[in-house]
Amino acid sequence: MQFASRSYSADSISAVQELYHSNGWTDGLPIVPPTREAVQECLEWVMMPPDQLIGIEPVRGLAITAEKLAINAVMAGCLPMHFPVVVTAWTAMMQQEFLMHGATASTGGCAVLVILNGPIRLEIGASGSFNALANSDRATAVIGRAIRLCLINLLDDRPGVIDRSTLGHPGKFSYCVAEDEEDTTWLPLAEHRGVPKGASSVTVMSAGAPRQLMNEWTTKPEEILETFAAEMRANMRHYSIHPGNYAIVIPKQLREHLQAGGWTKADIATFIHERARIHRREWAEVGKGAVVRDRGDSVYTAMDSPDQLLVVAAGGPAGGFGAVIPPWLGNKSYAVTLPIGVCVDCEPPKK
Amino acid sequence: MFEVLDPTPGTAPPAGRLAPRLDTLEGKTVGFISNGKEGTKGFFKHLDQILREEYGVASVVSRTKSNYSAPADPHIVAEIKGWDAVVSGLGD
Repeated sequence: MQFASRSYSADSISAVQELYHSNGWTDGLPIVPPTREAVQECLEWVMMPPDQLIGIEPVRGLAITAEKLAINAVMAGCLPMHFPVVVTAWTAMMQQEFLMHGATASTGGCAVLVILNGPIRLEIGASGSFNALANSDRATAVIGRAIRLCLINLLDDRPGVIDRSTLGHPGKFSYCVAEDEEDTTWLPLAEHRGVPKGASSVTVMSAGAPRQLMNEWTTKPEEILETFAAEMRANMRHYSIHPGNYAIVIPKQLREHLQAGGWTKADIATFIHERARIHRREWAEVGKGAVVRDRGDSVYTAMDSPDQLLVVAAGGPAGGFGAVIPPWLGNKSYAVTLPIGVCVDCEPPKK
Repeated sequence: MFEVLDPTPGTAPPAGRLAPRLDTLEGKTVGFISNGKEGTKGFFKHLDQILREEYGVASVVSRTKSNYSAPADPHIVAEIKGWDAVVSGLGD
Protein backbone atom coordinates (compact mmCIF):
# COMPACT_ATOMS: atom_id res chain seq x y z
CA MET A 1 0.00 0.00 0.00
CA GLN A 2 1.43 3.38 -1.02
CA PHE A 3 1.17 6.18 1.53
CA ALA A 4 1.43 9.89 0.84
CA SER A 5 2.63 10.60 4.38
CA ARG A 6 6.25 11.20 5.20
CA SER A 7 7.73 8.46 7.36
CA TYR A 8 10.23 8.71 10.20
CA SER A 9 12.54 6.16 11.76
CA ALA A 10 12.81 5.93 15.52
CA ASP A 11 15.10 3.65 17.52
CA SER A 12 12.80 2.93 20.41
CA ILE A 13 9.31 3.42 21.75
CA SER A 14 10.63 6.35 23.79
CA ALA A 15 12.05 7.94 20.66
CA VAL A 16 8.66 7.58 18.96
CA GLN A 17 6.96 9.32 21.88
CA GLU A 18 9.45 12.18 21.85
CA LEU A 19 9.13 12.57 18.08
CA TYR A 20 5.36 12.99 18.32
CA HIS A 21 5.35 15.15 21.45
CA SER A 22 8.11 17.45 20.22
CA ASN A 23 6.24 18.05 16.96
CA GLY A 24 3.01 18.86 18.79
CA TRP A 25 1.26 15.83 17.28
CA THR A 26 -0.34 14.53 20.47
CA ASP A 27 -2.88 15.52 23.10
CA GLY A 28 -0.20 15.25 25.79
CA LEU A 29 -0.69 11.53 26.36
CA PRO A 30 1.53 8.82 24.90
CA ILE A 31 0.50 7.51 21.48
CA VAL A 32 0.51 4.16 19.76
CA PRO A 33 3.16 4.25 16.99
CA PRO A 34 1.36 4.61 13.64
CA THR A 35 3.38 2.11 11.67
CA ARG A 36 2.63 1.36 8.03
CA GLU A 37 1.27 -2.05 9.02
CA ALA A 38 -1.14 -0.70 11.63
CA VAL A 39 -2.41 2.05 9.34
CA GLN A 40 -2.80 -0.37 6.46
CA GLU A 41 -4.88 -2.72 8.63
CA CYS A 42 -7.31 0.11 9.42
CA LEU A 43 -7.66 1.02 5.77
CA GLU A 44 -8.14 -2.58 4.74
CA TRP A 45 -10.82 -3.02 7.36
CA VAL A 46 -12.91 -0.25 5.76
CA MET A 47 -11.75 -1.23 2.25
CA MET A 48 -10.50 2.25 1.42
CA PRO A 49 -7.35 3.23 -0.44
CA PRO A 50 -5.11 5.68 1.43
CA ASP A 51 -6.06 8.59 -0.83
CA GLN A 52 -9.80 8.05 -0.42
CA LEU A 53 -11.25 11.52 0.08
CA ILE A 54 -13.46 11.52 3.16
CA GLY A 55 -14.40 15.15 2.68
CA ILE A 56 -13.27 18.73 2.37
CA GLU A 57 -13.24 20.79 5.53
CA PRO A 58 -15.68 23.51 4.51
CA VAL A 59 -14.06 26.69 5.84
CA ARG A 60 -10.36 26.26 5.07
CA GLY A 61 -10.73 23.85 2.17
CA LEU A 62 -8.58 21.10 3.69
CA ALA A 63 -8.80 17.70 2.04
CA ILE A 64 -9.29 14.94 4.62
CA THR A 65 -8.11 11.52 3.44
CA ALA A 66 -8.64 8.06 4.85
CA GLU A 67 -4.88 7.71 5.31
CA LYS A 68 -4.62 10.68 7.65
CA LEU A 69 -7.65 9.63 9.68
CA ALA A 70 -6.18 6.14 10.00
CA ILE A 71 -2.78 7.40 11.19
CA ASN A 72 -4.43 9.46 13.91
CA ALA A 73 -6.82 6.65 14.82
CA VAL A 74 -3.90 4.25 15.33
CA MET A 75 -2.14 6.87 17.45
CA ALA A 76 -5.26 7.12 19.63
CA GLY A 77 -5.22 3.38 20.23
CA CYS A 78 -7.89 2.36 17.74
CA LEU A 79 -8.02 -1.16 16.39
CA PRO A 80 -9.15 -1.62 12.78
CA MET A 81 -12.67 -2.48 13.97
CA HIS A 82 -12.99 0.96 15.57
CA PHE A 83 -12.01 2.80 12.41
CA PRO A 84 -15.44 2.76 10.66
CA VAL A 85 -16.77 4.84 13.56
CA VAL A 86 -13.96 7.39 13.23
CA VAL A 87 -14.54 7.71 9.48
CA THR A 88 -18.28 8.17 9.94
CA ALA A 89 -17.90 10.66 12.77
CA TRP A 90 -15.54 12.75 10.66
CA THR A 91 -17.88 12.56 7.68
CA ALA A 92 -20.64 13.86 9.95
CA MET A 93 -18.42 16.62 11.35
CA MET A 94 -17.69 17.91 7.86
CA GLN A 95 -21.38 18.55 7.11
CA GLN A 96 -21.99 22.28 6.80
CA GLU A 97 -24.56 22.38 9.60
CA PHE A 98 -22.04 21.06 12.11
CA LEU A 99 -19.87 24.17 11.63
CA MET A 100 -16.72 22.27 12.57
CA HIS A 101 -14.30 25.17 12.24
CA GLY A 102 -16.36 27.50 14.42
CA ALA A 103 -17.10 24.86 17.01
CA THR A 104 -13.53 23.65 17.36
CA ALA A 105 -11.85 27.07 17.18
CA SER A 106 -14.21 28.92 19.53
CA THR A 107 -13.30 30.40 22.87
CA GLY A 108 -16.39 28.51 24.09
CA GLY A 109 -14.28 25.38 24.42
CA CYS A 110 -16.71 22.65 23.49
CA ALA A 111 -15.77 19.10 22.53
CA VAL A 112 -17.21 16.78 19.90
CA LEU A 113 -19.56 14.36 21.63
CA VAL A 114 -19.90 11.09 19.70
CA ILE A 115 -22.94 8.90 20.37
CA LEU A 116 -22.99 5.32 19.05
CA ASN A 117 -26.06 3.35 18.10
CA GLY A 118 -26.72 -0.03 16.50
CA PRO A 119 -24.98 -3.40 16.41
CA ILE A 120 -21.47 -2.01 16.00
CA ARG A 121 -21.56 -1.07 19.71
CA LEU A 122 -21.67 -4.74 20.65
CA GLU A 123 -19.15 -5.80 18.01
CA ILE A 124 -16.51 -3.39 19.31
CA GLY A 125 -17.39 -3.74 23.00
CA ALA A 126 -18.66 -0.19 23.52
CA SER A 127 -20.50 -0.08 26.82
CA GLY A 128 -23.34 2.22 27.73
CA SER A 129 -23.43 1.09 31.35
CA PHE A 130 -21.09 1.90 34.26
CA ASN A 131 -19.19 5.19 33.92
CA ALA A 132 -20.86 5.75 30.54
CA LEU A 133 -19.62 9.30 30.03
CA ALA A 134 -16.05 8.55 31.04
CA ASN A 135 -13.63 5.62 30.81
CA SER A 136 -16.33 2.99 30.44
CA ASP A 137 -14.51 0.82 27.91
CA ARG A 138 -11.69 0.63 25.40
CA ALA A 139 -13.78 1.32 22.29
CA THR A 140 -15.36 4.60 23.32
CA ALA A 141 -12.13 5.80 24.92
CA VAL A 142 -10.02 5.37 21.79
CA ILE A 143 -12.69 6.50 19.32
CA GLY A 144 -13.24 9.73 21.23
CA ARG A 145 -9.50 10.29 21.44
CA ALA A 146 -9.11 9.66 17.70
CA ILE A 147 -11.61 12.44 16.97
CA ARG A 148 -9.50 14.89 18.97
CA LEU A 149 -6.13 13.79 17.55
CA CYS A 150 -7.54 14.22 14.03
CA LEU A 151 -8.67 17.73 14.94
CA ILE A 152 -5.25 18.55 16.37
CA ASN A 153 -3.25 17.18 13.48
CA LEU A 154 -5.50 17.74 10.47
CA LEU A 155 -7.06 21.11 11.34
CA ASP A 156 -4.23 22.45 13.50
CA ASP A 157 -6.69 22.58 16.38
CA ARG A 158 -3.89 23.07 18.85
CA PRO A 159 -4.39 25.19 21.95
CA GLY A 160 -3.57 28.78 21.09
CA VAL A 161 -3.34 28.06 17.36
CA ILE A 162 -6.71 27.28 15.79
CA ASP A 163 -8.20 26.07 19.09
CA ARG A 164 -8.81 29.31 21.00
CA SER A 165 -10.73 27.75 23.90
CA THR A 166 -10.62 29.77 27.09
CA LEU A 167 -11.11 26.73 29.33
CA GLY A 168 -12.12 23.68 27.31
CA HIS A 169 -13.23 20.62 29.28
CA PRO A 170 -12.02 17.07 29.87
CA GLY A 171 -14.23 15.74 27.05
CA LYS A 172 -11.68 17.20 24.70
CA PHE A 173 -9.47 14.19 25.43
CA SER A 174 -12.28 11.77 24.57
CA TYR A 175 -16.06 12.17 24.56
CA CYS A 176 -17.86 9.14 23.23
CA VAL A 177 -20.83 7.25 24.62
CA ALA A 178 -22.69 4.18 23.44
CA GLU A 179 -26.43 4.11 24.02
CA ASP A 180 -27.61 1.22 26.23
CA GLU A 181 -30.11 -0.09 23.69
CA GLU A 182 -30.40 -3.54 25.28
CA ASP A 183 -31.69 -2.27 28.60
CA THR A 184 -34.40 0.11 27.51
CA THR A 185 -37.77 0.03 25.82
CA TRP A 186 -37.03 3.32 24.08
CA LEU A 187 -36.13 3.81 20.45
CA PRO A 188 -32.40 4.25 19.92
CA LEU A 189 -31.38 7.87 19.39
CA ALA A 190 -30.35 7.28 15.76
CA GLU A 191 -33.67 5.62 14.92
CA HIS A 192 -35.42 8.54 16.54
CA ARG A 193 -33.44 10.78 14.18
CA GLY A 194 -34.39 8.85 11.05
CA VAL A 195 -31.75 6.13 10.68
CA PRO A 196 -33.31 2.76 9.73
CA LYS A 197 -33.84 0.28 12.55
CA GLY A 198 -30.83 -1.95 13.09
CA ALA A 199 -28.31 0.25 11.26
CA SER A 200 -25.14 1.18 13.08
CA SER A 201 -24.74 4.90 13.26
CA VAL A 202 -22.87 7.81 14.74
CA THR A 203 -24.24 11.11 16.07
CA VAL A 204 -21.89 14.03 16.60
CA MET A 205 -22.70 17.12 18.65
CA SER A 206 -20.70 20.21 19.59
CA ALA A 207 -21.03 19.75 23.30
CA GLY A 208 -20.20 21.39 26.57
CA ALA A 209 -19.21 19.38 29.63
CA PRO A 210 -21.88 17.13 31.17
CA ARG A 211 -23.80 18.72 34.04
CA GLN A 212 -24.66 15.93 36.48
CA LEU A 213 -27.93 16.04 38.41
CA MET A 214 -29.58 13.82 41.01
CA ASN A 215 -33.14 13.05 42.03
CA GLU A 216 -33.59 9.86 44.02
CA TRP A 217 -36.60 11.06 45.93
CA THR A 218 -39.46 10.49 43.52
CA THR A 219 -40.75 7.97 41.01
CA LYS A 220 -42.98 10.48 39.21
CA PRO A 221 -41.83 11.11 35.61
CA GLU A 222 -42.81 14.78 35.76
CA GLU A 223 -40.70 15.38 38.88
CA ILE A 224 -37.71 13.49 37.50
CA LEU A 225 -37.84 15.44 34.26
CA GLU A 226 -38.30 18.70 36.13
CA THR A 227 -34.81 18.20 37.55
CA PHE A 228 -33.40 17.81 34.04
CA ALA A 229 -35.31 20.90 32.87
CA ALA A 230 -34.05 22.87 35.87
CA GLU A 231 -30.46 21.99 35.00
CA MET A 232 -31.08 23.21 31.47
CA ARG A 233 -32.57 26.44 32.80
CA ALA A 234 -29.47 26.87 34.94
CA ASN A 235 -27.29 26.47 31.86
CA MET A 236 -29.40 29.07 30.05
CA ARG A 237 -28.91 31.51 32.89
CA HIS A 238 -25.28 30.84 33.65
CA TYR A 239 -23.88 30.00 30.23
CA SER A 240 -25.90 30.59 27.06
CA ILE A 241 -29.50 31.46 26.34
CA HIS A 242 -29.34 30.37 22.70
CA PRO A 243 -31.63 27.45 21.74
CA GLY A 244 -30.12 24.36 20.13
CA ASN A 245 -29.40 20.66 20.46
CA TYR A 246 -29.20 19.63 24.09
CA ALA A 247 -28.53 16.01 25.04
CA ILE A 248 -29.83 14.41 28.20
CA VAL A 249 -28.42 11.13 29.45
CA ILE A 250 -30.79 9.02 31.54
CA PRO A 251 -29.35 6.03 33.42
CA LYS A 252 -31.32 2.94 34.33
CA GLN A 253 -32.66 3.92 37.75
CA LEU A 254 -34.45 7.04 36.55
CA ARG A 255 -35.16 5.50 33.15
CA GLU A 256 -37.18 2.71 34.71
CA HIS A 257 -39.50 5.15 36.44
CA LEU A 258 -40.09 6.95 33.14
CA GLN A 259 -40.62 3.72 31.23
CA ALA A 260 -42.97 2.36 33.90
CA GLY A 261 -45.08 5.46 33.43
CA GLY A 262 -45.22 4.77 29.70
CA TRP A 263 -43.13 7.79 28.74
CA THR A 264 -41.43 7.60 25.36
CA LYS A 265 -38.47 9.71 24.24
CA ALA A 266 -40.92 11.89 22.29
CA ASP A 267 -43.01 12.43 25.45
CA ILE A 268 -39.88 13.35 27.39
CA ALA A 269 -38.77 15.83 24.74
CA THR A 270 -42.18 17.48 24.63
CA PHE A 271 -42.25 17.86 28.42
CA ILE A 272 -38.70 19.19 28.58
CA HIS A 273 -39.39 21.66 25.78
CA GLU A 274 -42.27 23.09 27.82
CA ARG A 275 -40.29 23.33 31.03
CA ALA A 276 -36.79 24.29 29.89
CA ARG A 277 -37.41 27.98 29.25
CA ILE A 278 -36.57 31.19 31.05
CA HIS A 279 -37.38 34.86 31.00
CA ARG A 280 -34.56 37.15 29.97
CA ARG A 281 -35.01 39.08 33.22
CA GLU A 282 -33.65 36.02 35.11
CA TRP A 283 -30.21 37.07 33.93
CA ALA A 284 -30.36 39.93 36.39
CA GLU A 285 -30.40 37.33 39.22
CA VAL A 286 -27.07 35.88 38.10
CA GLY A 287 -25.07 39.02 37.55
CA LYS A 288 -25.95 39.58 33.91
CA GLY A 289 -28.41 42.42 34.39
CA ALA A 290 -26.51 44.53 31.85
CA VAL A 291 -27.81 42.48 28.95
CA VAL A 292 -31.44 42.22 30.02
CA ARG A 293 -32.11 45.69 28.58
CA ASP A 294 -35.80 46.29 27.80
CA ARG A 295 -36.45 42.66 26.91
CA GLY A 296 -36.95 41.23 30.41
CA ASP A 297 -40.32 39.70 29.58
CA SER A 298 -39.03 37.82 26.53
CA VAL A 299 -39.24 34.05 26.92
CA TYR A 300 -36.39 31.85 25.68
CA THR A 301 -36.63 28.09 25.17
CA ALA A 302 -33.71 25.68 25.47
CA MET A 303 -34.63 24.14 22.12
CA ASP A 304 -36.49 25.52 19.13
CA SER A 305 -38.61 22.36 19.12
CA PRO A 306 -38.77 19.07 21.05
CA ASP A 307 -36.94 17.18 18.31
CA GLN A 308 -33.77 19.15 19.09
CA LEU A 309 -33.43 17.19 22.33
CA LEU A 310 -31.17 14.14 22.08
CA VAL A 311 -32.40 11.65 24.68
CA VAL A 312 -29.78 9.00 25.40
CA ALA A 313 -30.26 5.90 27.56
CA ALA A 314 -26.91 5.25 29.22
CA GLY A 315 -25.28 4.88 32.61
CA GLY A 316 -24.70 2.34 35.34
CA PRO A 317 -27.60 0.39 36.83
CA ALA A 318 -27.72 2.13 40.21
CA GLY A 319 -27.98 5.77 41.15
CA GLY A 320 -30.64 8.38 40.66
CA PHE A 321 -28.37 10.49 38.49
CA GLY A 322 -28.66 11.97 35.08
CA ALA A 323 -26.81 14.44 32.94
CA VAL A 324 -27.58 17.42 30.77
CA ILE A 325 -25.08 18.03 27.99
CA PRO A 326 -25.50 21.56 26.69
CA PRO A 327 -24.73 22.75 23.19
CA TRP A 328 -21.60 24.74 22.45
CA LEU A 329 -23.61 27.76 21.40
CA GLY A 330 -27.20 27.01 20.44
CA ASN A 331 -28.04 26.62 16.80
CA LYS A 332 -24.66 27.73 15.51
CA SER A 333 -23.86 24.03 15.29
CA TYR A 334 -26.41 21.28 14.70
CA ALA A 335 -25.99 17.66 15.76
CA VAL A 336 -25.54 15.33 12.79
CA THR A 337 -26.45 11.64 12.67
CA LEU A 338 -25.09 9.37 9.93
CA PRO A 339 -25.33 5.62 9.43
CA ILE A 340 -22.00 3.87 9.09
CA GLY A 341 -21.59 3.52 5.36
CA VAL A 342 -18.43 1.52 5.28
CA CYS A 343 -18.46 -2.22 5.56
CA VAL A 344 -18.40 -2.96 9.27
CA ASP A 345 -18.87 -6.71 8.92
CA CYS A 346 -16.20 -7.38 6.33
CA GLU A 347 -13.03 -9.19 7.19
CA PRO A 348 -9.85 -7.61 5.89
CA PRO A 349 -8.43 -9.37 2.83
CA LYS A 350 -6.30 -12.44 3.45
CA LYS A 351 -2.58 -11.77 3.28
CA MET B 1 13.31 0.20 15.08
CA PHE B 2 10.02 1.83 14.29
CA GLU B 3 9.00 3.37 11.00
CA VAL B 4 6.12 5.69 11.74
CA LEU B 5 3.95 8.04 9.68
CA ASP B 6 3.35 11.78 9.86
CA PRO B 7 -0.19 12.45 11.15
CA THR B 8 -0.43 15.97 9.72
CA PRO B 9 -1.39 17.02 6.19
CA GLY B 10 2.27 17.76 5.52
CA THR B 11 1.38 20.61 3.20
CA ALA B 12 0.23 24.08 4.07
CA PRO B 13 -3.53 24.60 3.82
CA PRO B 14 -4.71 26.67 0.88
CA ALA B 15 -4.28 30.27 1.96
CA GLY B 16 -5.79 33.52 0.82
CA ARG B 17 -3.54 36.14 -0.74
CA LEU B 18 -3.28 39.69 0.50
CA ALA B 19 -4.49 42.33 -1.91
CA PRO B 20 -1.85 44.77 -3.23
CA ARG B 21 -1.07 47.45 -0.64
CA LEU B 22 -2.59 50.88 -1.21
CA ASP B 23 -0.31 53.89 -1.73
CA THR B 24 -2.66 56.08 0.27
CA LEU B 25 -5.92 55.81 2.13
CA GLU B 26 -6.98 59.29 1.05
CA GLY B 27 -10.28 59.30 -0.79
CA LYS B 28 -10.63 55.52 -0.48
CA THR B 29 -13.53 53.36 0.64
CA VAL B 30 -12.74 51.04 3.53
CA GLY B 31 -15.02 48.19 4.57
CA PHE B 32 -15.24 46.77 8.09
CA ILE B 33 -16.36 43.19 8.60
CA SER B 34 -17.17 42.64 12.25
CA ASN B 35 -17.94 39.30 13.85
CA GLY B 36 -20.61 41.13 15.84
CA LYS B 37 -19.24 40.55 19.32
CA GLU B 38 -19.47 43.22 21.96
CA GLY B 39 -15.75 44.01 21.82
CA THR B 40 -15.89 45.03 18.15
CA LYS B 41 -18.14 48.03 18.72
CA GLY B 42 -15.76 50.41 20.42
CA PHE B 43 -12.82 49.29 18.30
CA PHE B 44 -14.48 49.84 14.94
CA LYS B 45 -16.07 53.11 16.07
CA HIS B 46 -12.65 54.44 17.01
CA LEU B 47 -10.99 53.09 13.87
CA ASP B 48 -13.70 54.69 11.71
CA GLN B 49 -12.93 58.06 13.29
CA ILE B 50 -9.15 57.70 12.86
CA LEU B 51 -9.42 56.63 9.23
CA ARG B 52 -11.65 59.55 8.30
CA GLU B 53 -10.02 62.29 10.37
CA GLU B 54 -6.34 61.34 10.19
CA TYR B 55 -6.05 59.43 6.93
CA GLY B 56 -8.68 61.15 4.78
CA VAL B 57 -10.67 58.02 4.04
CA ALA B 58 -13.72 59.02 1.99
CA SER B 59 -16.15 56.47 3.33
CA VAL B 60 -16.30 53.59 5.76
CA VAL B 61 -18.77 50.76 5.19
CA SER B 62 -19.54 48.68 8.27
CA ARG B 63 -20.93 45.18 7.96
CA THR B 64 -21.56 42.55 10.62
CA LYS B 65 -21.59 38.80 10.06
CA SER B 66 -24.88 37.07 10.89
CA ASN B 67 -22.98 34.26 12.66
CA TYR B 68 -19.79 35.21 14.45
CA SER B 69 -18.43 31.68 14.26
CA ALA B 70 -18.92 31.21 10.52
CA PRO B 71 -17.39 32.80 7.43
CA ALA B 72 -18.82 36.15 6.28
CA ASP B 73 -22.23 35.96 4.62
CA PRO B 74 -22.14 35.76 0.78
CA HIS B 75 -23.81 39.18 0.41
CA ILE B 76 -21.02 40.78 2.46
CA VAL B 77 -18.33 38.98 0.45
CA ALA B 78 -20.02 40.22 -2.75
CA GLU B 79 -19.72 43.81 -1.54
CA ILE B 80 -15.95 43.60 -1.01
CA LYS B 81 -15.07 44.24 -4.64
CA GLY B 82 -16.58 47.72 -4.27
CA TRP B 83 -14.14 48.57 -1.47
CA ASP B 84 -10.48 49.60 -1.66
CA ALA B 85 -9.53 47.94 1.62
CA VAL B 86 -11.08 45.64 4.21
CA VAL B 87 -10.58 45.35 7.94
CA SER B 88 -11.92 42.09 9.36
CA GLY B 89 -12.10 42.02 13.12
CA LEU B 90 -12.98 39.72 16.01
CA GLY B 91 -14.41 40.91 19.28
CA ASP B 92 -12.67 38.34 21.49
